[in-house]
Amino acid sequence: MRTLTSSLETAQATFPRQPAYKILAFDPTIDSMSAIINGEYTQIPLDLTPYATDVQWSSGAPGVSTTATGGTNTSELKFTLIDPLGVFNPDSGSLANFLQDRAIIRLLEGDARVDEADWVYTFTGLIHGQVGWVKQRDNLTLQSTVTVFPREAAHSMTKQLITSSQYTVGTELGVMLQDICSTFIGLTPYEYRIPQVLGLQLLHQTNQISQMAPWDAITAILQTVNRIPYFDGEGRLYDINTNLQRPPDRILPDYVRIYDYEFPEQNQDTVNKVVVTFIDSNLTEVDSPLQKLGDAQCTTGFFSMHEKLRCWWSQDHTQRAKNTYMKVIKSVNSGLLPVGSERYSEEDEFHGQIDVDIAVWVPMLAITLEITYAALALSPDMTTPTEVECPGIGTFLVQPSPFGGPVEGLITVNPLAVGQWTISVGRIVQTACMIGIAIIMMSMSSCQYEVWGIPFTYAYLQEQSTAMQDNLQYYDEVEEDITCNFLGSYAQADVVALTELIWQKSLSYPRRLQCDEDLALEVGDIVALPDGRELVITGMSKTLKRGEIPIVQIDGGKVMSY
Amino acid sequence: MSLRRIINWAILQANTGITGVVASSFYRYSPDGTTWVWACDVDIGQGQVLQNVPVHAINFDLIYAQQGQAVALVRTNVGCGYAIVGLSSTSLGFGHVTYVTFVDQTVAIVRDAWTGVLMRPLTYGELGEYGVGGGYGRLPYGIQGNFSKDGAFISLVAS
Repeated sequence: MRTLTSSLETAQATFPRQPAYKILAFDPTIDSMSAIINGEYTQIPLDLTPYATDVQWSSGAPGVSTTATGGTNTSELKFTLIDPLGVFNPDSGSLANFLQDRAIIRLLEGDARVDEADWVYTFTGLIHGQVGWVKQRDNLTLQSTVTVFPREAAHSMTKQLITSSQYTVGTELGVMLQDICSTFIGLTPYEYRIPQVLGLQLLHQTNQISQMAPWDAITAILQTVNRIPYFDGEGRLYDINTNLQRPPDRILPDYVRIYDYEFPEQNQDTVNKVVVTFIDSNLTEVDSPLQKLGDAQCTTGFFSMHEKLRCWWSQDHTQRAKNTYMKVIKSVNSGLLPVGSERYSEEDEFHGQIDVDIAVWVPMLAITLEITYAALALSPDMTTPTEVECPGIGTFLVQPSPFGGPVEGLITVNPLAVGQWTISVGRIVQTACMIGIAIIMMSMSSCQYEVWGIPFTYAYLQEQSTAMQDNLQYYDEVEEDITCNFLGSYAQADVVALTELIWQKSLSYPRRLQCDEDLALEVGDIVALPDGRELVITGMSKTLKRGEIPIVQIDGGKVMSY
Repeated sequence: MSLRRIINWAILQANTGITGVVASSFYRYSPDGTTWVWACDVDIGQGQVLQNVPVHAINFDLIYAQQGQAVALVRTNVGCGYAIVGLSSTSLGFGHVTYVTFVDQTVAIVRDAWTGVLMRPLTYGELGEYGVGGGYGRLPYGIQGNFSKDGAFISLVAS
């Protein structure tokens, strides 16, 4: 709601009212828009009022529709300019600069009984391009229909793409918005009428506007707190609060005469479901099914006491997995003897390690057997004379035969049989050693393992908050989707969804009020009628005529509340 | 240009990317009856699972894509209208639905509910609980199940 001085408020309430207005034009080559809005301009503005007739003013919430066809409200100042002397001639007129491209036009309204300092600006905008002129055949005067567009319609607002700096977690949304407005639109603090604190802190680590038009960026940011941006009559950035759960901004005073209260046609589908999609600010683990993650194999030896087998879950070492375990396809102990141990350990999320340990006794025994085998190879067999007793003859000593005979250190297999033969004791021990070594060799072999587990990855969950009318069939749904990456929790998104649904529901009950002008009213205000009915203003329009109280047409929606 | 080609062109122009979750094993699929491509089913959170979603061209990332993996989809004129173009850093989460009624000028919140499922492997306790007939040994270790936001078991996921 626009704040009026007490003298202007009093003048509005005192009949007969003497409404007055001025259309002021500023040369854009002398002062900037900011300087003009801040009141720091150096030029004397040109009063176009004497030249202007048929002044039509409208103010609307950008992108909001309350019309039957679904068209959106626009802000615009339009008037017919009569130039009998040709002072605005684009080629030769001395005042042509005041209507050139990007010339700044302001509408100042008040009451003739009140000082102009108390009047209020109800429109501030720009001329786009060149004003078209037509020369009247009867009096040779130049005539033009001048259209002034609001600030948000400027090319730099809607077409130029920007990329902002990064805003970290915890940043207040209002701070981010003001920074963007200051950096990319050049708004001074006075031109910024939005509260600095919007009550929402960013939850994501990195937040950035990337390749968006400034106006789209502002709209997206304010959408997270259920607000719609627009430039007010003074040319300052303001917002429309779509949260209707608040007291009315203005109770229509008695002196404002109401001429009509209409129920306009609205033949568009009513939004009955609002889906807000946002990205959770926390990473969430997403699991895949249990599967084989990798395999490993090796061949063990006597002296390879410890084999380390690393196993990664992917070739590029980026796949994560959990609950991993080893499947032994072929064990190192699959032979006769248990020669070692196998164990698996999960090193980190990306890989594990298989350790194959050969038992200590294996190399020790092998070494001992080898040494024994070698030592016995050097041990000679000794032969000795044998005492033989012959019956009736006596006893005599038999010398060992060069072809063998009873010797020490031999095992006589069958000493009584003719052609007896013996085996070397050392050979038997050597054979035992060789069998031991061979058994160990045969027991140790290649081994093969698989590692299984549950692969997972981290992802930001795409969450949705939905507000919808109860008992709605699928085929009756009329959905509005809002995607907002500045929201990071259900608590934030639920509010956005619910508020937007109520706002859309309110807009589906359009109301139109025709009444005397009340300069305090602005787009976005909730107006209460004397009988208690409330409507939220989404658009206003009027025609200004000298000496007449303008009848303003207020478009809006019925306020729904808890 | 035929009408079909114009329609296909319009679809490609829309080129809207969405996110889904792989809901089946990868299998061979022939969209035109002559060529074979790798495809799988993808859950895009709309109740019905998209079937026969082809893998777009050669994407080595998808070597590791398994059931439950979040994937990015783009519009195409093959099969279901979408193709997998790669892994996604975002995945489908839960939805919170608030139901309201409007009576005259009054709004009332009547109830709320959660939508969506969480796909995760069953724990040891759940393996013994949810198998047909109960007891361990009915379900293989590592089998996945769908769970609601509050942890309630919904169904087993066929792998």
